[in-house]
Amino acid sequence: MADAALFLSDLALGVLLGCVFAVIAHGLNLIWGVAKVVNVAHGEFIMLGAYGAYFLNLWFGFNPLLSIPFDAAIGLGVGVLFYFGFLHRELRGKESMDLQSEMVTLVSTFGLSLVLINTAQKLWTPDNVGIPWSPGYVVFGPVQLPLGGLYVAIVSVSIIALSHVFLSKTYLGNAIRAHSQDIPAAQLVGINPTITASIGTAVGFGITMVGGALLTVWLPTGIFPAMGNLYAPISFVIVVLGGPGKMWGSLVGGLTLGVIINVGQLFLGNNLSLAEAAAFLILIPVLLLRPEGILR
Amino acid sequence: MTRVLEVSQVHKYFGGVRAVQGVSLAVQEGNVIGLIGPNGSGKSTLLNLIAGVMKPTKGRISLDGQRIDGWPAHRIVEQGIAKTHQIPKPFLAMTCRENVAVAAMFGSNKQKDQSEALETAGRVLTLVGLEGKADSISSNLTVQERKRLEFARVLGTGARILLLDEIFAGLSPEELRDAIGMFTQVQKEVGFGALVVEHVMRAVLTVSGHVVVIEEGTKIADGSPREVVENPAVIEAYLGAEAVHAPT
Amino acid sequence: MNLRSILSVGPTLWGIGIFLVILGGSAPWIPGFLLTLVTGLLIWATLAYSLNLITGLVGYVSFGHVVFMAFGGYALAFGVGALNLHPVVGVALGAAVGLALALGIGLVTLRFRGVYFAIATLVIAVAALYIVLDIEELGDGKGIILNPAVEPLSVFYTILVTLAIEVGVTYAITHGRIGYGIRSIKGDEDAANTLGINAARIKLFVYALSGLFAGAAGGVYAWNVSGAFPYSSFSLTFSLQMLAMIVIGGMGTLLGPLIGTVAVYLPSQVFLTIPLLSGLQFTVIGLVVIIIALFVPGGIVGTLRKYIPEFRGMLE
Ligand SMILES: Nc1ncnc2c1ncn2[C@@H]1O[C@H](COP(=O)(O)OP(=O)(O)OP(=O)(O)O)[C@@H](O)[C@H]1O
Ligand SMILES: [Mg+2]
Repeated sequence: MADAALFLSDLALGVLLGCVFAVIAHGLNLIWGVAKVVNVAHGEFIMLGAYGAYFLNLWFGFNPLLSIPFDAAIGLGVGVLFYFGFLHRELRGKESMDLQSEMVTLVSTFGLSLVLINTAQKLWTPDNVGIPWSPGYVVFGPVQLPLGGLYVAIVSVSIIALSHVFLSKTYLGNAIRAHSQDIPAAQLVGINPTITASIGTAVGFGITMVGGALLTVWLPTGIFPAMGNLYAPISFVIVVLGGPGKMWGSLVGGLTLGVIINVGQLFLGNNLSLAEAAAFLILIPVLLLRPEGILR
Repeated sequence: MTRVLEVSQVHKYFGGVRAVQGVSLAVQEGNVIGLIGPNGSGKSTLLNLIAGVMKPTKGRISLDGQRIDGWPAHRIVEQGIAKTHQIPKPFLAMTCRENVAVAAMFGSNKQKDQSEALETAGRVLTLVGLEGKADSISSNLTVQERKRLEFARVLGTGARILLLDEIFAGLSPEELRDAIGMFTQVQKEVGFGALVVEHVMRAVLTVSGHVVVIEEGTKIADGSPREVVENPAVIEAYLGAEAVHAPT
Repeated sequence: MNLRSILSVGPTLWGIGIFLVILGGSAPWIPGFLLTLVTGLLIWATLAYSLNLITGLVGYVSFGHVVFMAFGGYALAFGVGALNLHPVVGVALGAAVGLALALGIGLVTLRFRGVYFAIATLVIAVAALYIVLDIEELGDGKGIILNPAVEPLSVFYTILVTLAIEVGVTYAITHGRIGYGIRSIKGDEDAANTLGINAARIKLFVYALSGLFAGAAGGVYAWNVSGAFPYSSFSLTFSLQMLAMIVIGGMGTLLGPLIGTVAVYLPSQVFLTIPLLSGLQFTVIGLVVIIIALFVPGGIVGTLRKYIPEFRGMLE
């Protein structure tokens, strides 16, 4: 009986964690889907989002949820800069991304990640910081859930749902989707590839930085310049699991990872590090068996 | 011994898309078979299945009676069947000579010696009329030259059965005449068999002795070029139903 | 190989060979601190050449190359610490472990192209750390500490010889028939397959070599620092630094990894000694990587070849 309760509470925590994983991966998913580019520095923008929330808390006492609009605004701006700095030259005039350009963006964004981590370490020291915000717990029968995590999960799922609505219901969203599927055809119907790709990238960055802010709720002392080295691989796995460009894919991938890490421990002799290894390695069979991701 | 490629009842499905549904045909060394059909009818897919780029969902492909379906592409080439790419895929960092030399080194001839392979490449490039470009980096070639290079590479492998995907597309009438002339001459000289996918009717009808027509993955006609162009099903597939019934 | 073909290997290989021979010959007279520096340089060069094999020559960007290095280091630490092997045998063990691991990982991950390969290798490196943290024989997360009875010259000569072999191997597989196969795969893997190249086998072969040398370098590294420790051994920084070195030096070239190592390693060491700049070396390296990736494809060697015609025939 106690086991069942433990299982339920680990499952519930796994789901909450999965939601925040989903949102930190979601921006990457969008950029990967729209611009066909993998931003290796993705983790560093999560880190910047987290620091954004940290400083807003430090200076103005904002809780992480209040920092969302600020992080989003900064992310949008940074996304446009990123698009024109790193992607435009490679994407311009191309109908699809070739392996050569893929290589260029992999390597150049990897350089960016070095710059961001080390500049952040110089500016803010390599040490951990955190945001003291803990709105308490809520109890459902045998399961006790952190309220902060619950709020974050709700916001995360809303962001993913909103982005889905944006892509499928608005003119701009449709243009972005058309662009991501078939650039020449999209151009024929008057869609400007530069505008759509840059907006898609900007939105992706906005979501990524917001994801960083939301993540801080789970990290009472876990904000530090190199934190992206953990969250970038998590995001990569999530996007591949869900399928790049599929909006709900982030949630599927995020939940898969969150649940494996939390529930997996129970089956691996309470061993967190093996559960984490399993969560990463799940990528390999998925890539072998379902290269388009779990979702059809 | 003349070699025979036989394709029988081959199917290929991509999820719900049934790209090829039960096509059968045969190509003999020395003969040129045309393969025509509207856009998206499954021509390239069929060539990819034969060349081992993809595995058929169902059906059998054999060479001289031996089953080769499902074999990896490089083994099919070793057996003497080689394919060009509809969108040319030259090795952009190499010269034309090197591109063809690779084919000679790894194709069915397996010329282990580099300088021999480079010599072969030079001869093949002369055959297809690219001798002037032999030492240019292939990224400098025009689309038409790249198509010729594709052709040169399959010749370089020493293949006895060539699968040619739209090597005549996009040429002006004079260029087409030259290309057809070149092709016929090389074919006579080398004596290969070929399955030639083509939209340009004039080219298919001139170069091939026998034509297979597919539509939506199924064979709808099969015969001499003349028979095929007069076949109502073919005219309908190409021009729509009205053309068949339109008063002449 | 006859004498003629050995003599006709071209100026680049000659140059690297002479450089290594001079280094080897003068080592006993090099002062201690400088020898440490040079040993570090050679370890990094060996790592850079190893990544160059799979990423530079074949075109598969690996973000997880550190696994081979880390397990090579653990192999040496285990071999020397628990089995009382001679460190040089430990390095050979590291090489063997790197080779075996690369065969296993490569068999699966080399099916994935482009970013998928990069991500798969990254994820395996991250997961490997979590697994090692849990293995009792490998120190259970605390690592393995060796007696620091290191004879600097033996470390130096071991890595020197490893590097020399590695450069020779790089030369050998870039020339001749297999070299054409490798270049074809880098150029267009599908086209390579349809011309009769067994791309899967060639890729695995090169990846295995790459794992072997990274494993050996990892062994020497562990020997040099007298132990293997999980968080520092598996640090992604290693993977990234190797990548930076070959990008800056010139991917896929024979000389590039060496030049790149010098260009990245020496300035980093200088930065470390200046308090104001210490920590900023990676910012600078990152900026240089960005600029080279976006604007100077080919890195230092590629650029020299492009703009100085005399170098075209000499540098490779
Ligand atoms: N790899 C693939 N995945 C999914 N569908 C595919 C794939 N390759 C081809 N198809 C589909 O199979 C059908 C046949 O395509 P194929 O390229 O063989 O046609 P084709 O006759 O060569 O056309 P074209 O004359 O335009 O070259 C098309 O509907 C195409 O969209
Ligand atoms: Mg086609």
